[in-house]
Amino acid sequence: MTQHDPGSDGPALRTDRLGRRYGRAWALRDCTLEVPAGAVAGLVGPNGAGKTTLLEMIIGLLRPTEGEVSVFGETSRARHVTTLAQVGYVAQDHPLYRDFSVADMYHLGAAMNPGWDGKLATARMDALGIPLKRKVKQLSGGQRAQVSLTMALAKRAPLLVLDEPVSSLDPIARQEFMREVMAAAADSGLTVIVSSHVVAELERLCDWLVVLAGGHVQLAGPTDDLMAAHCLLTVPRAARDAELPGRVIHRSDSDRHSAVLIRTDPARLRAEARAGWHVDPVGFEQLVLAYLQRSPSAATAEELVTSKAVTR
Amino acid sequence: MIWVSWRQHRSQALGCLAVLASLAVYAIMVGSSMRTAFGQDGLAACLAGSKGAVACPNAVSAFTNEFGSEVNIAFWSVALIVPGLIGVLVGAPLIARELEYGTWRLAWSQSVPRARWLAVKLALVTGGLIIVGAVMTAVITWYRAPMDRLTGHFQHNIYDFEGLVPTAYILCAFGFAVLAGLLIRRSIPAMIAAFIPWLAIRLIIEFMLRPHFLAPLSLTCGPHNCSGSNGGYGISAIPPATGHIGDWVLGQTGSGFLYQPADRFWIFQSIEAGTFVALTAAALGTAIWLLHRRTA
Repeated sequence: MTQHDPGSDGPALRTDRLGRRYGRAWALRDCTLEVPAGAVAGLVGPNGAGKTTLLEMIIGLLRPTEGEVSVFGETSRARHVTTLAQVGYVAQDHPLYRDFSVADMYHLGAAMNPGWDGKLATARMDALGIPLKRKVKQLSGGQRAQVSLTMALAKRAPLLVLDEPVSSLDPIARQEFMREVMAAAADSGLTVIVSSHVVAELERLCDWLVVLAGGHVQLAGPTDDLMAAHCLLTVPRAARDAELPGRVIHRSDSDRHSAVLIRTDPARLRAEARAGWHVDPVGFEQLVLAYLQRSPSAATAEELVTSKAVTR
Repeated sequence: MIWVSWRQHRSQALGCLAVLASLAVYAIMVGSSMRTAFGQDGLAACLAGSKGAVACPNAVSAFTNEFGSEVNIAFWSVALIVPGLIGVLVGAPLIARELEYGTWRLAWSQSVPRARWLAVKLALVTGGLIIVGAVMTAVITWYRAPMDRLTGHFQHNIYDFEGLVPTAYILCAFGFAVLAGLLIRRSIPAMIAAFIPWLAIRLIIEFMLRPHFLAPLSLTCGPHNCSGSNGGYGISAIPPATGHIGDWVLGQTGSGFLYQPADRFWIFQSIEAGTFVALTAAALGTAIWLLHRRTA
């Protein structure tokens, strides 16, 4: 059900027991992941979950304390120049040189990237109505985000990494920005990795999901498969976890009933279902939040911005 | 990368140009009148004679009364720290500003590895600073030329503005500031953290090490020498105790003087400039290595 082609030349990104320690605290540990080429992967987690740490190690800005990252089969650590040329990066808060004009920023891009596509950069600015002569400091937040995105796209790198790209934008600019990202990804067959602490934002966009909390990967895989493998079960409160047909991810008890999110396969669920149980499909946000709440640092899940409650 | 470096440092380059231009204007104004006076007072003719400056004390004192303050005070007190200020102002923001404003994520995620990014920037900015230092030295040397014929240029406060050392001082402050910017990650504290050790090293070398770069010569006074001034240096000792303009008298011994002869000027300049350039290379090399090591 996912858009990527499983028969293509191996994953765009692979991490193997990747970890990074700052002083004595691990920001990320034991992170093993694969994102196939062509996927749009959402990286979800509360603030401080290790998202930026993971992304910076992917693009080679940060050296792993342990483990390995490889991008299109090349180890980031060993072939740094190759990695840089293959990853377009939009950093959090869209850093640009404030006293540069937009044209200066693209001049810099052209000077520092052999594959630079100047036509793409000017065409995008024309389409968005951003004058090339305007200074970066005179641009709105949304325009700065678009300039940053254009810098990353004009590099013509096959992997696009976006770190909290819309967290500083207003709702309209958010939509516009993500629409641009998806259009560019579809046009050029990019692999996209986008992080966010806003779960609702990634719904409908990503066909691959990675949930990160407390420095560990809680859940990873194709979004549709993950949604199909989970369901929301309403059972009498007396039912014990062990009686349920699958792994209990999250349970919330009310007076007489319990709402339980379980991981199971549909066939087993049908076979073991009992009278009085009620089965609902799980929503994207419910799924993500359930995994965040079961992580050791469950308290931080409250930082997540949600549009609706987890349980009914 | 050349364009990138120029674009990021062009306001600093223009600032340096403005400083050099105002220095040149001042130097031309005072320097021209100094030249005119030097010719009119008959000093040139007097110095060319067999007895040198001893033969015309009145002309010498008239000249030094008129221009001594410009040459000695206006330059040495303020100008002592100018090379350090130029160096830290240019050097500290080079990495620290990228870290302060988060633009390192942009700069280091382009296709140029960051160690090369830094090496190219450092090479270009260092080249620019060498030009600034050389022009500054040339202007001061031209400006001081008439006075140098009376005092030589080996003494404190004259030596420090001529030859090779001013440029080396700038580079050393720059190197310290680049490294401090990388370690401290903020521009202003990095400027301070670089300036203090620069000044300390600069003064320790000038007052404690420089007199001993080579073993001083000693002069025993007899009836035919020690005709010059007994104390002081610069314009208050024309000619110096050794009687030879340009000698650097270090101090008195029982029967004579310890001094460094004038013809050692360039050897001393090379030793001192070499020391500062070595410190610069060590600081900049460490900065490149540290930046490279973060990724491998």
